[in-house]
Amino acid sequence: MQNRVISRQDLAGFVDDLIKTKSAGDVIGIKAQGNKFNFGPLKSATELRLDYDISLLPPKKYFFPQQETVLKYEVEPAFKVEPVVEERMLCIIGVHPFDIRALQLFDAVYGGNNPDPNYFLKRNNATIIGVDCLNPIPKSFAASMGTNTVEEGFDLMLTDLGGDWFVTVGSNRGDSMMKKYGKGREATNVDLEKRNKVRRDAAKKYKTSLKMKPDEIPALLDANWESPVFKERSATCFSCGSCVMVCPTCVCFDVQDDPALNLKGGERYRRWDACMLPGFAAVASGENFREHKEQRFRHRMYRKGKYLLERYKYLGCVGCGRCGTSCLADIALPADTYNLLKEGK
Amino acid sequence: MVMQLTAKQSIFLPRIAQIVRVDSLSDREKVFEFVFDDGKELGHKPGQFVEVSIFGVGEAPISVTSSPTHKGSFELAVRAAGSLTNHLHTLGKGAKVGIRGPFGNGFPLDTLKGQDLLFVAGGIGLFPLRSLINYVMDTRQDFGEVTTLFGCRSPQERIFLDQLDTWNSSKDMCFLETVDRVPDDSWKGNVGVITTLFPKINIDPKKTYAIVVGPPVMYRFVIAECLKKGLAEDHIIMSLERRMKCGVGKCGHCQINGVYCCQEGPVFTYAQVKSLKEAV
Amino acid sequence: MKPRVAFFDFTGCEGCQLETLNFNLEVVDLINAVDIVEFREISSDHSDNYDIAFIEGSITTDRDIARLQDIRNKAKVLVALGACACTGGVNSLKNFYSMEENLKVVYGESAKYYKTIPTRPAHAVVPVEFFLHGCPPNRNEIIRLIKCVVAGKKFEQCQNPVCVECKLAENVCAFERGEFCLGPVTRGGCNAVCITAGRKCWGCRSLVDEPNINSQKDLLAKYGLTVNDVLKQFRLFNGTLEVAKQ
Repeated sequence: MQNRVISRQDLAGFVDDLIKTKSAGDVIGIKAQGNKFNFGPLKSATELRLDYDISLLPPKKYFFPQQETVLKYEVEPAFKVEPVVEERMLCIIGVHPFDIRALQLFDAVYGGNNPDPNYFLKRNNATIIGVDCLNPIPKSFAASMGTNTVEEGFDLMLTDLGGDWFVTVGSNRGDSMMKKYGKGREATNVDLEKRNKVRRDAAKKYKTSLKMKPDEIPALLDANWESPVFKERSATCFSCGSCVMVCPTCVCFDVQDDPALNLKGGERYRRWDACMLPGFAAVASGENFREHKEQRFRHRMYRKGKYLLERYKYLGCVGCGRCGTSCLADIALPADTYNLLKEGK
Repeated sequence: MVMQLTAKQSIFLPRIAQIVRVDSLSDREKVFEFVFDDGKELGHKPGQFVEVSIFGVGEAPISVTSSPTHKGSFELAVRAAGSLTNHLHTLGKGAKVGIRGPFGNGFPLDTLKGQDLLFVAGGIGLFPLRSLINYVMDTRQDFGEVTTLFGCRSPQERIFLDQLDTWNSSKDMCFLETVDRVPDDSWKGNVGVITTLFPKINIDPKKTYAIVVGPPVMYRFVIAECLKKGLAEDHIIMSLERRMKCGVGKCGHCQINGVYCCQEGPVFTYAQVKSLKEAV
Repeated sequence: MKPRVAFFDFTGCEGCQLETLNFNLEVVDLINAVDIVEFREISSDHSDNYDIAFIEGSITTDRDIARLQDIRNKAKVLVALGACACTGGVNSLKNFYSMEENLKVVYGESAKYYKTIPTRPAHAVVPVEFFLHGCPPNRNEIIRLIKCVVAGKKFEQCQNPVCVECKLAENVCAFERGEFCLGPVTRGGCNAVCITAGRKCWGCRSLVDEPNINSQKDLLAKYGLTVNDVLKQFRLFNGTLEVAKQ
């Protein structure tokens, strides 16, 4: 695998080629949406906004859609149940390193003992072309989480060197894509040093930081179950779910049936659901195991900083800053809570 | 990372089963016997649960109440509590449902083998426990002394009456029963909460495992009694209720702190539960 | 037996009935699933024999009260359809003025010929089984309710605030556009149509079960608004709720 350097023009040509030939499937890219950015189908390389700060929703939506039919059933005239699994080949261009890290957590959650075809039949065939984030949002603390750069989880990773693009090749698939396209030149050590300097400079732009090493979070949480911080910070929580709906590492869902009006058949679908919403932990008998918003708030902080790490070896927070940006009460950012707990000691 | 999978391996795809018998247990509870269309066994362990589908209504987790020693069919005992269970109660013989599972860890049979057992069931906590009790009665030679305590709120809420009679008259088991309160004098047995039965029993704490299933409020008091009897924390076993939606450790609804009730549970030792802050 | 369904309008614009008719192809399935025995906007038929009564509009005269009680006596299931029936809706704005004042403003010289009472939602007069919030209500939710009733399944209204569906719809937050939005405290189920269309939420679907009103007021400082500004917003659709009266 050989890293490369290509011109802006050639990168555009590469992208347009992917769109035209569909050799890597449907091409998705980061585009402007109002004065924000979001992932969507790409018609031309000119739509690409690789200079973006953050996408409204993380790219997980392509493997774990907001709502997805998982079964079709008939009860009349014959009783029949069939799985619905959409298989899709996709190439996603412009994924930030922290969102790639979040996808690695998703792979662990949706794999394991009971792998989920609805996830993997989309994920397996996806080409991920990342881009280093050079314009972090004020609430992002990815640099202090060590998720501002990644070494794996992508096929190609783009870094803007000013004039040209540095292309870090991360997989055999990425390697053969670049070779097939053929433009540009092999990267030298000088190019590599340039790329690393761009990354170092970008890391300095983060305005928010976690004031400890990420691996200190579990012990910090262990010592603070009774801390008043959870109650104080959650007092202004709307329980609106914004923080968990925009999160790249929120993996949870609800399952519902949608019968046809004639009741002879219908569909079963899954839909994003999350632990900050009041009814999430309620059972049929009426008991709600996390009835109060401080319980839900605390659970989310533990989930992100401890539980997922212990279960899947990946921290449940990648420091993207989406939750903190979307939270009207400004309480959602995990780094803020962890920093407060740390200061309280 | 590439995982070779097909649609047929969908985690949501149930097997189709048919109701072959429905018996009423009380005003709110019924027991249903099911046979799979493909003729296969459920293949469960006592303490495991299944996800029952009624298409158009949804799914709900329900513990298996029959013992795996019973072949050819399986039983689910159900209280009409939510949308699905209410709908299930309207179904009769011949109706078809979807079944996924069995899920969960079940009771630790290997640990319990050769030991004395103290079963403590509160109300419909008997539903999951019945599977284990009947398993033990069917393989009686593998276990030591067996004591069963059963309590419910009133004589009207007693369930599986034939079964209770069998256990009561069995020489293989010490069976004690109580009700919290009585509306009239038709009830001749013990009156009082289930903990009032503890002074009446004699167990060897070193050899005994307590298996406790009941409503959340019961656990605190029964566990205190078990500890008083000298049982070690890892000799007290309980089954917890959570909203297990997917059953396969994905959907997140059944989390107790960092634990997925549908994967590591629903059966836990008190030693484990103690370290879980939100368990009971 | 197909359930017999009747629609009745009280004080309102009848937009909820229009929305109910706006089912496109599903209207055929709907007609196959239920018998519509009374529905002023599509038929001159009239019937006193029905299972499910949809109540549209709010209660604003003594005559309305008697008529609603009569419908309640005949129906097995009563559904409040739309904001006016669920909370009083826009009509409850008049509750913040005296009835004399209202009559004078609306009817001028002829005011003496009319009688009016403070606006009430349907459930303030008779028991109501189900609520289909919104101005207008969401047609998918109307269909879902009918499916539930036909299937004998409990209809559960959306428990989440509008923000959940707004995020799923990938909208730029109205607050980020500089608007003051009631989404965080308003009951979802509408797919956040207003914000998706570039507007903001006015709270037409009433409040969620546990709204954090204090937090919503805290947001005021950030956006340079006063408590009165916000109460005005709440009052537009939710004038009968305690929070709007303070």
